[in-house]
Amino acid sequence: MWRQDNHYHYLRIGPFPFHITEKNKNEIYSLNQHHKKAHLQEYTSPNLLYTQTRLTTLLERWIQMSVNQTTHNSLILWDGSLTAGTPETSVQEMEQLLKKARDNQNTVLAFSKMTRLLLHGYRVTDLIWKHPSPCLLKIQNYPIHVGPLCLMGNVHVAKLTEDRYTFRLDIDKQLSHKQSIEAVQKLLGNDLILQSYPETLRLAHIFSTFTANEVLGIQRCIAKESNMRIITRPNIRRILFGRFGKGLEG
Amino acid sequence: MRLYKKEGTTIQIISFPNEKVEKGDYLTVEDPNTGKSLIVQVIDIQYANIPGILDELLRNYNGDSYIQGEDVDPFEVATHIAYIQDACLLICKIRATNNNGDIISTSSWLPSRSQAIVKRLPVETLFAQAKINGKHSMHLGETIEKKQLHVDVGALDGGLNIITGKKGTGKSHISKLLTLSLVNHGAPVVILDLNSEYTGLGQDVDGKPNEFHGKIHVLTPRQNLKVTLIQLKLRVMLSILVNALHLPGTSAREFRRIWCSLEQKGVLTMYELGEGIRNWKCNQHVRDALFSRYYTLLNSGLFTDNPAQSSSLEDSLYKARIGGVVVINLHDTSIIDRLIVVEYVLGKLMELLANWKLRAIFLFAEEAHLYLRETYWDDIVTRMRHFGVFTTFITNQPDTIRENIYRQADNLFLFNFNNEHDLETISRASKVDAETVKCVARDLPPHHCLVLGKVVNDFPIVTKVRKLDVHALGQTRLFFSKESY
Repeated sequence: MWRQDNHYHYLRIGPFPFHITEKNKNEIYSLNQHHKKAHLQEYTSPNLLYTQTRLTTLLERWIQMSVNQTTHNSLILWDGSLTAGTPETSVQEMEQLLKKARDNQNTVLAFSKMTRLLLHGYRVTDLIWKHPSPCLLKIQNYPIHVGPLCLMGNVHVAKLTEDRYTFRLDIDKQLSHKQSIEAVQKLLGNDLILQSYPETLRLAHIFSTFTANEVLGIQRCIAKESNMRIITRPNIRRILFGRFGKGLEG
Repeated sequence: MRLYKKEGTTIQIISFPNEKVEKGDYLTVEDPNTGKSLIVQVIDIQYANIPGILDELLRNYNGDSYIQGEDVDPFEVATHIAYIQDACLLICKIRATNNNGDIISTSSWLPSRSQAIVKRLPVETLFAQAKINGKHSMHLGETIEKKQLHVDVGALDGGLNIITGKKGTGKSHISKLLTLSLVNHGAPVVILDLNSEYTGLGQDVDGKPNEFHGKIHVLTPRQNLKVTLIQLKLRVMLSILVNALHLPGTSAREFRRIWCSLEQKGVLTMYELGEGIRNWKCNQHVRDALFSRYYTLLNSGLFTDNPAQSSSLEDSLYKARIGGVVVINLHDTSIIDRLIVVEYVLGKLMELLANWKLRAIFLFAEEAHLYLRETYWDDIVTRMRHFGVFTTFITNQPDTIRENIYRQADNLFLFNFNNEHDLETISRASKVDAETVKCVARDLPPHHCLVLGKVVNDFPIVTKVRKLDVHALGQTRLFFSKESY
């Protein structure tokens, strides 16, 4: 999703249906690792439930790299944080992504809707909600390494419009303070900001979310093309505990 | 198509875009385990309530070019999504059950939802299964599937029929078609023709005599419909005076005495009747009442003292008894004269039927509220029916026909209506559920008719009424017609 000449443009790719089972998950996972072999994080395939997340992150990082390579002098908005060292994103991979953006004079701004970062016992996003907007609070001296995790950006709390909404905003650590402030100023001047959130990012969310009907369509496509029958497995928790049976099936 | 839901006699079926179904179509819901199938009719088509559809429509709206974009869909999933988006929900009414070839009007069982096979049921197959065509076949028109529709005109026999629909939808056309079909099968028909629409039945579209020419007898009051008092019985005259001209009971009694006196003397003429009233010893008010009615009768032009000028309705009916139409042309007749003529015709018909001079008669009455007295409505559905008067009412104002007539109607030929009040009125017909009438009639195109009742064995059928090669008369006169330019 990008904004250019006062218009929003999108390129929607997919959907990409995969048939993942307990049987083929290793095969799919090794395919995943093949693309990321320089930065192996896991040596065994994850739980079936997480395989989909691994695949979507792989695709997301690939798209981010493509955007960083093909755009110049742009603000690049990411959904999420610049935290690396997760099973999906290695530190090296994140470094490469940010470097490629900097090489092309791009600035990556990563917006997180939810954060678990705390300061003095408060969630960081609760620190500035009373301040007038626009307001950008830089959280300094926060530990860069927390276990295997590594914060690759400077953590900010942003309140961009006059309402109660605040977001965690990560900006590439390699950029100067001035460059970071300028990037946020450019965002305010060039995009529509509603509820402290950039419209481009909001539209990107809307366009990348499957509706229930689209899920049905994808299921039909799989059933039709692969001659498979879609069966809803009984939720054993529901069967055993009735309305008290919460959580995933199994 | 997949069976989705059943509530009462309503069944909901999911239909997909490649399955073309229209309102009025018949479907079978076959249960392979029992060998039984439900025969259902589609009465409404709705979009299936697909989750997330509103989100999709809002997201993909591109009317203001605010968002422009491109979709790359390597697996071509979009076609599958569109397929689900365009799914329809068919609201169907259960009409019968086919139990290994036996058609039973029941819906007391439930087919398997997971295994039921839903298929289209062509009308011709339905008719063959339900044995609808009968002995007296009539070509009514064509079905939604463009197949010729033949029904049993014999189903009009002994029945009460209603043809209704808004203006210009084809009511008169179907009544002409029914009339000529009855004539084809040797039935006598009397038409009370308000707008001189049926006088051209004996001519083709070019105005030349057609095959029915010798069977159409047009009687116009004042012209070729005149009667002498001798032809008219006292009972008929009294019903004219009391019902059409509202003569009070006391005056009617005096009139009876005058009539009997003239009859005994053998001088039963209009002139002598006038003299009789003048010279009769009675109260002045009674005399005045009788005189005012006498002059109304005189001015109607229906009565004559010259036997050579008189025409016998009886003769015309006699000619029509083996297949013919007697058209009573009420065009250009005043309201009072119309009432007098109708009282005379109905009185005469009852007399002939009571004496078995006629076996039965099919009466077509257009906009009957304009000339039928209040008590006749009940007479028609009860007494007259037993004598052999089988009436077809034709109207574009359904609320002018009483509710009990709708309830007792054997056949209903329903054309398009948009007005909720009209649809509500018609929905009281007992031959079908109110929902079918309201849903189907609202969307009927011109010249398409929903046929209900005995004529289709209680399987409502939507048909396009076929064209007729008769001279169309009685059409609305237009100022801005092509000829005026």
